[in-house]
Amino acid sequence: MTEDSQRNFRSVYYEKVGFRGVEEKKSLEILLKDDHLGILPPHHESHAKVMRYRKDQYSDVLHALKVIRFVSDATPQVEVYLRMYQLESGKLPRSPSFPLEPEDEVFLAIAKAMEEMVEDCVDCYWIIRCFVNQLNTKYRDFLPQLPKAFEQYLNLEDSRLLSHLKTCSAVSKLPYDLWFKRCFAGCLPESSLQRVWDKIVSGSCKILVFVAVEILLTFKIKVMALNSAEKITNFLENIPQDSSDAIVSKAIDLWHKHCGTPVHSA
Amino acid sequence: MAQQANVGELLSMLDSPTLGVRDDVTAAFKENLSSDRGPMLVNTLVDYYLETNSQPVLHILTTLQEPHDKHLLDKINEYVGKAATRLSILSLLGHVIRLQPSWKHKLSQAPLLPSLLKCLKMDTDVVVLTTGVLVLITMLPMIPQSGKQHLLDFFDIFGRLSSWCLKKPGHVAEVYLVHLHASVYALFHRLYGMYPCNFVSFLRSHYSMKENLETFEEVVKPMMEHVRIHPELVTGSKDHELDPRRWKRLETHDVVIECAKISLDPTEASYEDGYSVSHQISARFLHRSADVTASPYVDTQNSYGCATSTPSSTSRLTLLNTPGQLPQTLSSPSTRLITEPPQATLWSPSMVCGMTTPPTSPGNVPPDLSHPYSKVFGTTAGGKGTPLGTPATSPPPAPLCHADDYVHISLPQAAATPLRKEERTDSARPCLHRQHHLPNDRGLEEPLGSKGSVTLSDLPGFLGDLASEEDSIEKDKEEAAISKELSEITTAEAEPVVPRGGFDSPFYRDSLPGSQRKTHSAASSAQGASMNPEPLHSSLDKLGPDTPKQAFTPIDLPCGSADESPVGGRERQTSLETNILTPSPCKIPPQRGVGFGSGQPPPYDHLFEVALPKTAYHFVSKKTEELLKKAKGNTEEDFLPSTSPMEVLDRLIQQGADAHSKELNKLSLPSKSVDWTHFGGSPPSDEIRTLRDQLLLLHNQLLYERFKRQQHALRNRRLLRKVIKAAALEEHNAAMKDQLKLQEKDIQMWKVSLQKEQARYSQLQEQRDTVVTQLHSQIRQLQHDREEFYNQSQELQTKLEDCRNMIAELRIELKKANNKVCHTELQLSQVSQKLSNSESVQQQMEFLNRQLLVLGEVNELYLEQLQNKHSDTTKEVEMMKAAYRKELEKNRSHVLQQNQRLDTSQKRILELESHLAKKDHLLLEQKKYLEDVKLQARGQLHAAESRYEAQKRITQVFELEILDLYGRLEKDGLLKKLEEEKTEAAEAAEERLDCCDDGCSDSVVGHNEEASGHNSETKTPRPGSTRGSSGSRGGGGSSSSSELSTPEKPPNQRAGPFSSRWETAMGESSGSIPTTVGSLPSSKSFLGMKARELFRNKSESQCDEDGVTISSLSETLKTELGKDSGVEAKTPLNLDGPHPVPPTADSVGQLRIMDYNETHHEHS
Repeated sequence: MTEDSQRNFRSVYYEKVGFRGVEEKKSLEILLKDDHLGILPPHHESHAKVMRYRKDQYSDVLHALKVIRFVSDATPQVEVYLRMYQLESGKLPRSPSFPLEPEDEVFLAIAKAMEEMVEDCVDCYWIIRCFVNQLNTKYRDFLPQLPKAFEQYLNLEDSRLLSHLKTCSAVSKLPYDLWFKRCFAGCLPESSLQRVWDKIVSGSCKILVFVAVEILLTFKIKVMALNSAEKITNFLENIPQDSSDAIVSKAIDLWHKHCGTPVHSA
Repeated sequence: MAQQANVGELLSMLDSPTLGVRDDVTAAFKENLSSDRGPMLVNTLVDYYLETNSQPVLHILTTLQEPHDKHLLDKINEYVGKAATRLSILSLLGHVIRLQPSWKHKLSQAPLLPSLLKCLKMDTDVVVLTTGVLVLITMLPMIPQSGKQHLLDFFDIFGRLSSWCLKKPGHVAEVYLVHLHASVYALFHRLYGMYPCNFVSFLRSHYSMKENLETFEEVVKPMMEHVRIHPELVTGSKDHELDPRRWKRLETHDVVIECAKISLDPTEASYEDGYSVSHQISARFLHRSADVTASPYVDTQNSYGCATSTPSSTSRLTLLNTPGQLPQTLSSPSTRLITEPPQATLWSPSMVCGMTTPPTSPGNVPPDLSHPYSKVFGTTAGGKGTPLGTPATSPPPAPLCHADDYVHISLPQAAATPLRKEERTDSARPCLHRQHHLPNDRGLEEPLGSKGSVTLSDLPGFLGDLASEEDSIEKDKEEAAISKELSEITTAEAEPVVPRGGFDSPFYRDSLPGSQRKTHSAASSAQGASMNPEPLHSSLDKLGPDTPKQAFTPIDLPCGSADESPVGGRERQTSLETNILTPSPCKIPPQRGVGFGSGQPPPYDHLFEVALPKTAYHFVSKKTEELLKKAKGNTEEDFLPSTSPMEVLDRLIQQGADAHSKELNKLSLPSKSVDWTHFGGSPPSDEIRTLRDQLLLLHNQLLYERFKRQQHALRNRRLLRKVIKAAALEEHNAAMKDQLKLQEKDIQMWKVSLQKEQARYSQLQEQRDTVVTQLHSQIRQLQHDREEFYNQSQELQTKLEDCRNMIAELRIELKKANNKVCHTELQLSQVSQKLSNSESVQQQMEFLNRQLLVLGEVNELYLEQLQNKHSDTTKEVEMMKAAYRKELEKNRSHVLQQNQRLDTSQKRILELESHLAKKDHLLLEQKKYLEDVKLQARGQLHAAESRYEAQKRITQVFELEILDLYGRLEKDGLLKKLEEEKTEAAEAAEERLDCCDDGCSDSVVGHNEEASGHNSETKTPRPGSTRGSSGSRGGGGSSSSSELSTPEKPPNQRAGPFSSRWETAMGESSGSIPTTVGSLPSSKSFLGMKARELFRNKSESQCDEDGVTISSLSETLKTELGKDSGVEAKTPLNLDGPHPVPPTADSVGQLRIMDYNETHHEHS
């Protein structure tokens, strides 16, 4: 979080941590496992032990869930993660068939995306858990402010677009939940999503705003062509995936541009 | 049709004396022929011709065009078959054929040919035979390819007729035989010329027979003496001769000439020959000198012809031809026939040649052309009134300044003059033949003019001679003198001849050149030119070298006059003689003229002229003359076998003519008929017939000869063209040579310039070489310098290296020195410190010394006092002094000691301080480590805590689950118990019914149950036993209902009421309400334990109260269940229902109801 160069922050970070490759999944796993989410302590000696604890905990919770017949082998992994999380946070419903809360849906979306990124299920569970925890604790106060910030930056970038959205009265109906609560899970492909989530994990949730702005800028022509709020929302919820990489790159550029240094305590 | 009827009239009109009518009728016939394709008119015409022998009809028939040829041939064929008309039809056929109609090739296919052959084989009339044979001979060159089919017929005819000549079957007159012999001779020539191999083989086979041997000896063998070996006999074969391809290339006249070539007979032979080409000039001259036939006149004439045909002279003519003159010359051929002879001379073959000759380079045209021209013109005009009328009629004279050239120009006229005779005769004769021969005449005269081209083939040889002659001028002069002399002689001799013979005399020809020469010489003398008097030679000398075109022009002139000058005189004389004595037909006219006394020639006279080509005529004349001379001296018989039948015929004619004239003279009668009758006897019809036949035969012969002449003329025209071409090529060659010279000059120039360039180049090269060497030396020097510099730089570099090394060393030293300086500074500081220390010590010392001094003063003072007071205290003072000293020393050592102690303590302090720092550091590290460990532990602890949390959650979940399960179990147990109680308590019967009705009534049951529980609390103090029973019982009873209810309860909702219920229950329980049976086992459950935790101080009764709470819990559950299942409407009823019902119950029950309400509130 201290590097202020224009480079991909990961590269610097990796070098610092001792990884050379930027795109390797393993390193990402370890990175995500690392410090910021609090899964592993900074002390290397205790890693093994803590990791064992984590695994034990995972298996215990899973076992418990199995015992109370909340999950079975046939249950999708994502739901397993959800149940485990619910159990651990004491929010497990009495029956698995109870309707899901909105926050559970968010969890499921994130878990689904994360499952694609991380192979090991223990790691995956812990990353999801900590990521969601981070969202719910660290960014709890910031997330509601993001729509306002989005409007502000969109105005700076393209006021016409914003006015168009306003005339369509679509501003309030934009998929903020998808963008800011789910952190674009299910909206962008995982490969692009990783780069966004890296930033979030590293402490900046403002990147979400810029990704949203960039999506609108990228599909400006189409959005401008659409007149009703529903259509715009519908389109934005299902944007084409092929240009996502470019979107993310531009969003990061935008982020650098508007927030100056990446040192940004979100 | 009307015309058809009028044909007879028209035919008769054809012979009308009026020319206009005749022309009109002829035109009408021709028109009719061109429109009508039927055979009718032709047949009529043929019939009419046979009837009347009409010349116009003959003319029409001979000019028949394509579609009518068949009719004509058919008609002729038809008449050939009839003996009566055979002779006349054959003569008609001869007329037709000789004109070579365009359809002549059809003759070979026509049925006429076989019938003609048959007639020749069968007929016995000599006249017919002779005519037929002549027709056949005429026809053969036209249809050479027909030999294939009819060759044997030809040979048979030859064999038959040759034997006829000897055997004379019947009463054939000797006179006829001469004619027959002549025609057989011609046939022999023709056959031998055309088909030598076949003919020879035929001769061989035919005359190997004994019966024919005599014929061969007598007739054929003499003929063979007049032919040379045909080359085809060597190279050809029988098949090749008959090959149509061989004949395809040859035209009719070619064939005729081919045949003439192989003839040795001077009357037949052709001297335009491919055979004599191989002859050398000397050989030719030899031949000429040996054979008188090669007369100088012929040669000169030839040379004149040559001159006329020379491109150079003709070109000059064309060059100077003014536009006004041109049309005149062109129109001259047409006007010539109508106008008088002088005008006819206007036209000359050379002119025609000139017109057709390509123009040559005008380089030779001098500026003052008109002057010599007028001069010459004047002189020639006034000088002599020659019949030529040269100035007026001749083409413009030579363009050259020299008058000599005039001769060259006038020479063509000389050559042309002989023609005039012909032309005159032609024009004089209004014969049909002449009319249609008119176009031919021009062509006929052209070759005559270009006759010299025959000798042109010998030009190369003559050129050589020329060159040699040109070298010797003396010889030229001599020759000139001779020729001059000759010319004088000839003119002298010619003058009397001219009036006598007129233009038609052959002698006149000879006189012309002479007269010309004379005029020329006069012109040249008048001009006063220093030229050679001999015009020919001067012109030759002058022009020969100058203009290459003319190099060959006068070729034959020197030949004629120079080469043969030695014999010139004799030849002239002989020529004179010849001209007088020759029995040739040419000679006849003058004789006849003398004889008849009139200029009118006999009707056949012109035929001789036309029939015999000039060469033939000359040769004939020469030959006969020679023969006559010999005959005078010797016997004619000696030479008889060698004389050709032609000569015999000639002689016969001559003699006949002589005899005839003599006869006439003798008789001197006005007419023959009278003559005959005068003698009393009827004229011998036989004689007359014979004569008539003879005449006919002669006519035929004549016509044949004329045909030959035409062929020669054609040939000559062809050759003239070749000559012109050759001349053009020559000229071209000359031009090329000029160009070559120019180019050679150019080359020379280039060579010179090349040499110059080479010299310059070599000079430049040398310069360059010197510069190069110079530069090389410079380079060498510079290289040397460079090497030196390089060495120097090397040295300097090594020096630099040394310096660098030195610098490095010095630096190292500097470093060392710096180090030393640092070290010394350090030392210095130490020393200064020590110094300061020592200074402070010194200060102390000073201070002590001062003290000492002060003390000493005090001491002295005291001593003074003492002395003053106690003078005897010295001992004491001394003692005191000593003590003081000792004390001082002691102090000093003490000070020293103190100093040392200070040092040591200072050191100690330092040590301790360092220790302290170390300890601090250690402490820090320890702290850090501790922090680390703490962190680690915290991390682990966190993990463990989270694990613990998880475990806690798990346990909670488990608890929940267990509780749930328990709840179910208990409910079941309660139901069972209820059933039991129902059996016991009768008052609750109706309520049990409700309970049984549906699960919704459970709450009501619960109330009752509770109520009963209240009641039974007192009587059932043992919870343990009841729990087991209730547990066992609850399993079967209402498990279904409880099972149904449980999952629907949301846990969080449940938790709240649970605890509150529990608390309220606790509150209730404080009211010492007896617990139900089912409540007891719950005390030992998980929740029970929890409860115990909370209420540790409760008694066992309280524990029972727990059970109450639990039961109440289950009750609440039930109520909730009821509420959830949507039977809430009923439940309040039931709830309300029991309320008034248990008023008998204590206040606790009411409290509980209130609790219910509370729970309800919480829920809502």
